[in-house]
Amino acid sequence: MATHFFGLKDRTFYHSHAVGRNEFAGTGFRNPVDMAIASDGSVYVVNRSYENRPDGVHMTVCTLDEEYISAFGAYGQGDGEFVWPTAVALDSNDNVYVADEWLNRITKFTRDGEYVSKWGVSGSGEGELNGPSGIAIDSQGNMVVVDSKNNRVQKFTIDGQYISSFGSEGDGPGQFNLPWGISLDGNDNIYIADWRNDRIQVFNSDGEWQQSIGTSGDGVGQFNRPNGVAVDADGDIYVADWMNNRVQVFAPDGRFITLFRGDAALSKWGKDKLNSNPDMIRQRNIAYSNDPAYEQRFAHPCGVRIDDQGRIAVIDHTRGRIQVYVKEDEPVLR
Amino acid sequence: MADQDIALVAHLMRRAGFGASRDEIEAKAAQGYDSVVQDLLNPAGGLDDDILMRYNPSYYEPGAIEVNTQLWVYRMINSPNQLQEKVALFWHMIFCAGHSKIDSGQEMGIMVNMFREHGMGRFDDLLLRLSQNPGMMYYLDNTESHKANLNENYGRELLELFSLGVGKDGSFNYSEDDVKVCARAFTGWNVAPAYPPFPHGRSPWVFRFDPADHDETEKTFLGETGPWNGDDIIRIICEQPGTARFLARHLYNFFVADEPQVPAWRLTPPRDVEAIQILEQAYFDSNYSIKAMLEALFTSEFFKDEAVRYQKVKNPAEMVISLLRMVGEHQEIKPGLFEISQEPKYMGMDLMNPPTVEGWHTGREWIDSGTLVERINFAAEMLGNTELDGVRGLVSRLMDRGDTLSPEQFVDGCLDMTGPVQVTADTHAQLVAHAAREGDLSHGSDDERVTFTRRTGEMFQMIAATAEFQFE
Repeated sequence: MATHFFGLKDRTFYHSHAVGRNEFAGTGFRNPVDMAIASDGSVYVVNRSYENRPDGVHMTVCTLDEEYISAFGAYGQGDGEFVWPTAVALDSNDNVYVADEWLNRITKFTRDGEYVSKWGVSGSGEGELNGPSGIAIDSQGNMVVVDSKNNRVQKFTIDGQYISSFGSEGDGPGQFNLPWGISLDGNDNIYIADWRNDRIQVFNSDGEWQQSIGTSGDGVGQFNRPNGVAVDADGDIYVADWMNNRVQVFAPDGRFITLFRGDAALSKWGKDKLNSNPDMIRQRNIAYSNDPAYEQRFAHPCGVRIDDQGRIAVIDHTRGRIQVYVKEDEPVLR
Repeated sequence: MADQDIALVAHLMRRAGFGASRDEIEAKAAQGYDSVVQDLLNPAGGLDDDILMRYNPSYYEPGAIEVNTQLWVYRMINSPNQLQEKVALFWHMIFCAGHSKIDSGQEMGIMVNMFREHGMGRFDDLLLRLSQNPGMMYYLDNTESHKANLNENYGRELLELFSLGVGKDGSFNYSEDDVKVCARAFTGWNVAPAYPPFPHGRSPWVFRFDPADHDETEKTFLGETGPWNGDDIIRIICEQPGTARFLARHLYNFFVADEPQVPAWRLTPPRDVEAIQILEQAYFDSNYSIKAMLEALFTSEFFKDEAVRYQKVKNPAEMVISLLRMVGEHQEIKPGLFEISQEPKYMGMDLMNPPTVEGWHTGREWIDSGTLVERINFAAEMLGNTELDGVRGLVSRLMDRGDTLSPEQFVDGCLDMTGPVQVTADTHAQLVAHAAREGDLSHGSDDERVTFTRRTGEMFQMIAATAEFQFE
C-alpha cells in the first residue's frame, strides 16, 4: 500500500502539552500577548489583562514544564510599571526588556525582575515611538522595535540610542499597516507581522525587503490580522493567525506546510484549579462531552516562540495558556 | 443655515442617537433632515472590530461584565450608526435581564449584540431571538421549565413585559390561563451545557431545543387552539392590537416624550393618542417592522413639534454619552474608558444589570438628590474642561460670533453651543446676570483669550447645572 506525502515528508509535528490557565495572579496568565524564552528555560510572559483588573497587568515567569517561578511589574506609569505592555525580549545576559505601547517606552529589568532603566520618547520623529508593539534583540545586541503607529521599524542600541529605521505607511513591499509582532532568524533577518496588511514581511538586517508571505483571507497561506511570527533553526516560519484562530507553518521560501488549530488538554495548573472546584469539574465534563473542540482550540493566538529544544510555544491569548508543539524529523506515534 | 434647521437636527440626534458635536450637527443640518433620518434607519459600515480588539484584546469573547459594558459604551460614543446603538439601549430597557443573576458578562454582551443587530427588524423575529437567547432563558427560568414541571416565569413576562402588556383602554390583554399555556408552549426551549469559568473561561451559551421535554399537547392561547410551540405563540402575540399598542407606547415614551410608568398603561390613555395610532398603523402595514415604526415616528409632525423638545429627562446613559460626544472625549481608543463606563451606574443606571425584569423607572424618576449631584458634577467636569478638544472648538466658535460679546450674546451663544438648550426666561436672566458681573467679553489679546476661555468654561458649567440641562 502506497503512502502519499505530496512533497511534505521531512517534517512532522505533534502537540505536546498546554501550560497555564486564566488567572489574574500566580499560576496562570491573563490576556497574555507575548513571551520570551531564556537560555535557562525561564519563560517571561506579558500579561495585558484589562483595565478594571489592573492586578492582572504584570510579567509572569515560569517554564514550559509548568513550573511557576515568579512575577514582577504592575499596572501604572511609574518605573517598572506598565499600562499597555505588549512585547518582551531578552538580551544575551537574559536581561528582560518590556515594551509598553501606551507609554511609548522600553523598560529594562534583570532576569529576576528588578527594575534597571527605561527609555523611549513619544512622537513620530527619528528615534521617537508611537506604539512600540514588538521588540527583538539582534546578534549585535541592538534592539529592533516595531514602531506600530508610525508604520516603521526602528533599530536602537540596547540603551535606546537611535541607529536606523525603515518602512512607511502603505501596502507595497516594505510598507506597513499597523505592524505588530517581530522575530529575527539566526542571520538577523527581520520577520514582521504586518498586521493590517494580512502578511508577513521579511527583511535583511539592513532593512532591505526580501519577501512577503500571505494575503487576506482564511484559506491556506492567507491571514486575518497575523500578530506574531517566529522562525526555527531550520528557517521554518510560524505565524499566529490571530483572527483565524490558528497558527500557520511555512517553509523558508514561504511555501505553506501545515497549520495548528489548537489541541490542548487540561494543563497541570488547570487541573489544580478544577480539583478545588468540584462543581466546575462536573460542569466541564458535561460540556466537554458535548463539545470537546471548544476547549482544545486556539482563541486568538497571539504570539509564537521557539525554545532551544526547538519546541514551538503558542500564546493562546483568550484561554490564558500556552500550547506547546514539537517538530520532529522522524515520526513519533502518539 | 437656519437656526430652526440646526435645532431640529439637534433634536433628532439627541433622540435617535446620543447627541452630536456641534460640527456634526451642522453637517447633518446641511445634509437635510429626511436624508439624515434615512441614514439613521439604514446602518452601514461601523466600527472596526479588529482595531478595537487590537488595543483591548480582552474584547474578544469578553467574559467580564465590566469589559462588556466598556465595549458597549465605546460603541455608543463612537458608532456612526447612532440609531442602532440607541435601539439596542431601547430593547435593553424593555427586555430586561441582568448580570446579577446571569453572572456572565459574555451573555449580557451577546444579548445586547442581538438587540443591536436585529432591533430594527421585524418584531416577531426579535421575539423569537429573545426567546432563544440563552441569557434570557436562564434569567427568566425557562431553563427550569419542563413538560412535567412547569415554571411560568418566562411565559408571564413575555406577555406582561415583553409584548402585549397587561391591558389597554381599561381592558386586560390576556388571562392567567394564557400565561400557563404560553409557558407550556416554551417547554423544551433550553440551553446546551457550557464550560465553567475555570480554568479557561466560560464558553458562549447555545440555545437547544429538546423535543422530549416539550409539551406538544393541544393548547388554547388567546382564543386559538392547536398544539402550539413557542414560535406559534409568538405569531399569535404579534397579531394582537395589544402588541401594536405596547410597542407604540414604548417607542413614544423612549423617543418622543415621557409617558407614565408602564404599569399604568392599562388605565392611563396615551399622552398623544393620534401619534400612537400612527405608530400602530405602521406596525401592521409593515408586517411588524420596527424600522417602519421608527420611520413613521421620526418623519412625523408629532416628533418634529417644538412642544416635545426637552420633554424627556435624559437617562443616565444618554447624559454621559451625549456629553462625551459633545466634548470629543474617548473618540480614540485609550485608557480610562472603564471609569467612564461606570458613570451611568453612579447616576442610577447600571448598564447590563437592570434592577428587576421590570427595568428602570424612567422620566423624572431618574433624578433624586444623589443622582442629580452625579449628573451635574459629571456634566460640569466635562463641559468645564477647556483643555478638551471639543470644548476648545466650542470656545473658538463663540469667538467667531464677534470681536466683543455682550453678556446676553455670550449666554445665548453658550446655550446654542451646548444644545441648543432651551431655558426658561428666569434661568436665562440668572445666567445673564452672572455673565454681566465681569462685563463684555473680547478676545483680541492673549489675556483676553484666556479670560474668554475661562468664562466660557464657567458658563458651560452653570448651564450644566440648570434644571433644563437634565432634559433632552
